Amino acid sequence: MPPAASNSPATASEPAPRQKVLIRNVDFYYGTFKALKNVTMPLHDKRVTAFIGPSGCGKSTLLRVLNRIYELYPGQRATGEVIVDDENILTPGLDLNLLRARIGMVFQKPTPFPMSIYDNIAFGIRLYENLPHHELDDRVESALRRAALWDEVKDKLRQSGLGLSGGQQQRLCIARAVAVQPEILLLDEPASALDPISTQRIEELIAELKVDYCIAIVTHNMQQAARTSDYTAFMYLGELIEFDETERIFTHPKQKHTEDYITGRFG
Amino acid sequence: MASEHIARGYDEELRKLNNTVAEMGGLAESQLGTAIEAVMARDTELAAHVVEGDVKVDELERELDNLAIRLLALRQPVARDLREIFSALKIGSDLERIGDYAANVAKRSIALSQSPAVRPVYALPRMAHLAQLLIKDVLDSYVQRDADKAYSVWKRDAELDEMYSSLFRELLTYMMEDPRSIGSCTHLLFMAKNIERIGDHATNIAENLYYLVNGTPLEGARPKGDTSSLEVMMPNRAPQ
Amino acid sequence: MDRYGRRRIANGVVTTLSVAATAFGLLWLILVLWTLLWNGVAAITPALFSQMTPPPGSAGGLLNAIFGSVVMTLTATLIGTPTGILAGTFLAEYSRGNRFGEVVRFINDILLSAPSIIVGLFVYEIMVIRMGHFSAWAGAVALAIIVIPVVVRTTEDMLNLVPDALREAASALGSPKWKVIVMVSYRAAIQGIVTGVMLAVARIAGETAPLLFTALNNQFWSTNMNAPMANLPVVIFQFAMSPYSDWQELAWGGALLITITVLFLNIGARALASLGTFKQ
Repeated sequence: MPPAASNSPATASEPAPRQKVLIRNVDFYYGTFKALKNVTMPLHDKRVTAFIGPSGCGKSTLLRVLNRIYELYPGQRATGEVIVDDENILTPGLDLNLLRARIGMVFQKPTPFPMSIYDNIAFGIRLYENLPHHELDDRVESALRRAALWDEVKDKLRQSGLGLSGGQQQRLCIARAVAVQPEILLLDEPASALDPISTQRIEELIAELKVDYCIAIVTHNMQQAARTSDYTAFMYLGELIEFDETERIFTHPKQKHTEDYITGRFG
Repeated sequence: MASEHIARGYDEELRKLNNTVAEMGGLAESQLGTAIEAVMARDTELAAHVVEGDVKVDELERELDNLAIRLLALRQPVARDLREIFSALKIGSDLERIGDYAANVAKRSIALSQSPAVRPVYALPRMAHLAQLLIKDVLDSYVQRDADKAYSVWKRDAELDEMYSSLFRELLTYMMEDPRSIGSCTHLLFMAKNIERIGDHATNIAENLYYLVNGTPLEGARPKGDTSSLEVMMPNRAPQ
Repeated sequence: MDRYGRRRIANGVVTTLSVAATAFGLLWLILVLWTLLWNGVAAITPALFSQMTPPPGSAGGLLNAIFGSVVMTLTATLIGTPTGILAGTFLAEYSRGNRFGEVVRFINDILLSAPSIIVGLFVYEIMVIRMGHFSAWAGAVALAIIVIPVVVRTTEDMLNLVPDALREAASALGSPKWKVIVMVSYRAAIQGIVTGVMLAVARIAGETAPLLFTALNNQFWSTNMNAPMANLPVVIFQFAMSPYSDWQELAWGGALLITITVLFLNIGARALASLGTFKQ
């Protein structure tokens, strides 16, 4: 049966998707080991794109190419192009710190800094902006509100970030990432260290955040990808097997390999 | 209704599903009403209108199916959520059949209005009215998730079946008395059967709703009052 | 006898042996402390803290020695701590897995276990002989050379305990490397680093051999860093071996003082470390 109009990511309430990032012919090497093979795909603005696949397929590797965080480690390198709004961010000699202020990342394990909640959020802001005190307060508050954490911590902003629960710490990390007003958010298995209720809260948060950001999420939980994303990329052994709208992938994918994976016919 | 999901999009999608079912139900109910109007008024234009209107019912069913598939694929529903979606699919299918039957009645009325009028036609609106009530009540019970109301609909279908049985006997008698009326009476017979089938589908919906609310199917044989399949007609003798 | 019975006996035997060994070790510690207390407490008087080291046969105190020890320990800490922390930071943050770092680490480990008398002789050669006289500066330098490897080791170990995810999180916000180190790594490791410094101070508080060759000793009150300066370990050495009873009493007092200081530093370091684990 022909799909109804409501099933595409461009529903009546959302603007038509615009391409924000184009990953083109990207290879990645850990030393001599080739972890990504000629990956090409788009990431759309104000949409969530999920990377799924079995362990070792390269999904986290691909995510980490997008903010060049791999450059912290010698022996890791990427070739190809990643074009963000007409600019290839894999150009050598690019200011990586400025790049990472535009492209934020949240990691699998919550990593609050050993400082107060307020300072955690302000850390990123203070790196590049010299704001007067009350403006900084406003930015911190709005970041915490966006992460659905303000009500829980507004009375203890000066307490250490380490005193929060796991789910709260992860929301703190998300608040920290959005505080610097990035354009793109990269989430590397953001809920895999959390209990089911916290996971659902984070997923709901992602649904709220996508209105303003281009979001890419790596998850080993296929059902999470189905629930949260608009587009899904299935990867296997470093290659992109299929990229399509999430609803398409989970109702009738084009590749048999994809179908075998999502129906659990192979690990 | 119980509390909401943490993922608000999920609740919105379920609401959309419910609304589509309600819309379909309302449309099917009004289709039946308009079809009977067309029969009694012998209005062929109105009848054609009803036939065209069935397209919308089919469209809604397709929309319902798509919504349900999407929910099943993307939300991995369990427990009550799963029963909701499963029930909505089955109810949609029943409502689509109801719509078809209503359109059939309207289609036949075009032929009927070109044949001479016959007296038993006056029994039809009573049947249709009861069928409409059944549809309305079962839809109300769906919206309110009221299993008791659904159960009462389930039992009242027997009444509709009895009305059909008596209309069946009356039409047979009429046809035996006046063979010129066989054409009209046959059309009427089919229409009456259609309406009786509408009642059966309403009963299906009631059963599905009961399952949705309670998680277990409605036990027991469905009360059937349709004895027409047991009628034996002998020529030159009154029916047994 | 069944298997369970045999196990219980074996358990009992080993437990008894372990307890006995522990008691044996503790016994000596208690004996030492007791002896110190017994012999030294008589010397703990206000005079100890207000009078200078006396000539033999008269009463006095240890003020100049206490002052000298404090000044030289402090100076050594001031010289050694920044150097040690920076070197430890270099090893942990800038040279993981690289050859140069391994070499530096190896040399540090050797220095860590170098006999302190060798250090003393070394400084004697490069400073005392060059300058032509003993001095408190030389003493401080010798002590600093002992402090540095301890601080390097603990700083590197504590920084290595900071998870990489934390550094990545800071880098992912666009933070330059030095800020990641100062504002994140240091803050995460601060408890451990301070503990390391305290332990280094405890180590040098009682070192005698290096001071023998560098600061020597001074009977009188002196604040001149360029000249020999009195200090507790050497004074104890001198007084304890003498035949004079008041000198010997003062020596016991000094020994008790050092012991208490070292004890407090160690307990303090431990308390600080456990504070850290509570907060985490």
